[in-house]
Amino acid sequence: MSMTTRTAHRVSRISTGVLITLLFGIPLAYVLMISFQTPTQFIRDPMSLSQGPTVSNYSAAWTQGDLGQQLMNTVIYSVAAAAISTVLSLLIAYPVARRLVRWHRWIYISFVIGMCLPIPVIPLFVQAQRMHLFDNRIGYIVLHLEMGLPLGVLLLTAFVAGIPEELDHAALLDGSSYLGFLARIVLPLAWPSIVIVFLYSLLGVWNDIIGPIVFLASADLFPVTRGVYQFYGSNTSAWTTMSAAIVIVSLPVMTLFIVSQRQLLRSTLGAST
Amino acid sequence: MYIGLFLGLAVFAAFGVLPTAANILISFTDYTSLPGTGTSFTGWSNYVAMATTQLPGFMDSLKATVIFVVGVTVIQNAIGLMLAHRMQGDSRSAAVLRVLCFVPIVLGVTVVGLIWLLLFDPAGGPATSVFGFFGVQSAFFGSDSLAMPLVITVQVWQNLGFTTVLFIGGLKAIPASIYEAAALDGVNAWKRFHKITWPLMAPSVTVNILFAVIGSVTTYNLIYVLTDGQYGTNTLGMLAFNSAFGATADLGYGAAVTTVLFVITVILALPVAALLRGRERRILG
Repeated sequence: MSMTTRTAHRVSRISTGVLITLLFGIPLAYVLMISFQTPTQFIRDPMSLSQGPTVSNYSAAWTQGDLGQQLMNTVIYSVAAAAISTVLSLLIAYPVARRLVRWHRWIYISFVIGMCLPIPVIPLFVQAQRMHLFDNRIGYIVLHLEMGLPLGVLLLTAFVAGIPEELDHAALLDGSSYLGFLARIVLPLAWPSIVIVFLYSLLGVWNDIIGPIVFLASADLFPVTRGVYQFYGSNTSAWTTMSAAIVIVSLPVMTLFIVSQRQLLRSTLGAST
Repeated sequence: MYIGLFLGLAVFAAFGVLPTAANILISFTDYTSLPGTGTSFTGWSNYVAMATTQLPGFMDSLKATVIFVVGVTVIQNAIGLMLAHRMQGDSRSAAVLRVLCFVPIVLGVTVVGLIWLLLFDPAGGPATSVFGFFGVQSAFFGSDSLAMPLVITVQVWQNLGFTTVLFIGGLKAIPASIYEAAALDGVNAWKRFHKITWPLMAPSVTVNILFAVIGSVTTYNLIYVLTDGQYGTNTLGMLAFNSAFGATADLGYGAAVTTVLFVITVILALPVAALLRGRERRILG
């Protein structure tokens, strides 16, 4: 490669870096900065911290917004729904991938269709009321179980199909039960895929905003999405407190992302090939 | 084994298949969640209402949906492709950038929506300052002309990381030896892209475009946070939601709009299904 093309490459690489940092970094950094501004600073000069940083927005957001309770609700809903949904995905994916049932092809196709079609929220609302799933914790979790299934079944079927079948026979000769076999042989092998399925289901439930609005009515059951959205509705111009609330509710899921980003991105990279 | 499979399929049937069937049924009724009202079958009346604009907004929603879907699909894929081309490296900085553009997906629509409402707050956000410097005033998300472009922008911002990472996957699948051979022959950069990269990354382009189309046809959660469907952003998904859960509480009409949305999605999704079936054949034999 010649000197000029090498320089051109470097310039284009650096300019892309700057562009992406501006495009994604600035909005996030700006919200972080606002969360440390005093309300008068935000009105007079929203672009700086000249009046000095303050943490009072954080205590205000925490006490006004009931964020502790809502974060707890979100964690309960998303961890429970994602965990059960991941287990169900494996329970479906294994027999389908091994072609142990006659209808394996149709089961697979129905999940492909499920992946493309959205879940209609209107009949689910009617179902929630008829099945006593409306406005309670268990019901909210049950209503979210299906959301992670299509992706989970498709990913895990592909994974199980890649595990050599000899392992099954070896384990069956050992006299393992089916569940014991799944737990001791398949689960450790499929662990990276299991984690991905779990994380994507978790994010789906964690970030759902329509679900909490349609399926819940009592304020003490609200997850953070509805909590922070409602907070915005009743304090439209209180942006400093709002920003602190945004930072607080984002911290747990950002921490989880930073810990798992390597796996999450690698699996997404592989999805298109 | 059968019990496990049955449990999984029961959940899928009860909360995936049943709602889809029930939605079609409800669309032929005057079902409402207002207290003290009965429900009866009303035939095609909800569909007639849509076509004849007895209830306002269906045609506007159809138009808004087309603008939204085309805008999001084109912009998201164009920028994603550009970024992917330059972010595919193994360097540390490329890895950091990939993580950075994935952040909005993790933050979710509520937080992302609120961040952009803050940035474009007409009462004193940074956009108001910047535009004010040039003597321009706007209500941004509350403006008939700017709301839709802004909603498209935020939707793209939200999902760009996913598109970019899928494209990077497609680029990485191209063997480096082809580029080395091209470099030896002195093939220029444009020709390398046009003759090697573009045709060989075709699968990831297909996946990305179809995902963007299907994803944006039905989605309305971000629009709900940003504008609640006002100012020309009332896409079909948003219309269905607001008909059913807004003041009118007209679940029947909402379900009918959803059914139309299903039909549109199925027509658009057939290529995806074909694609995934090809993949299934590779996996299941």
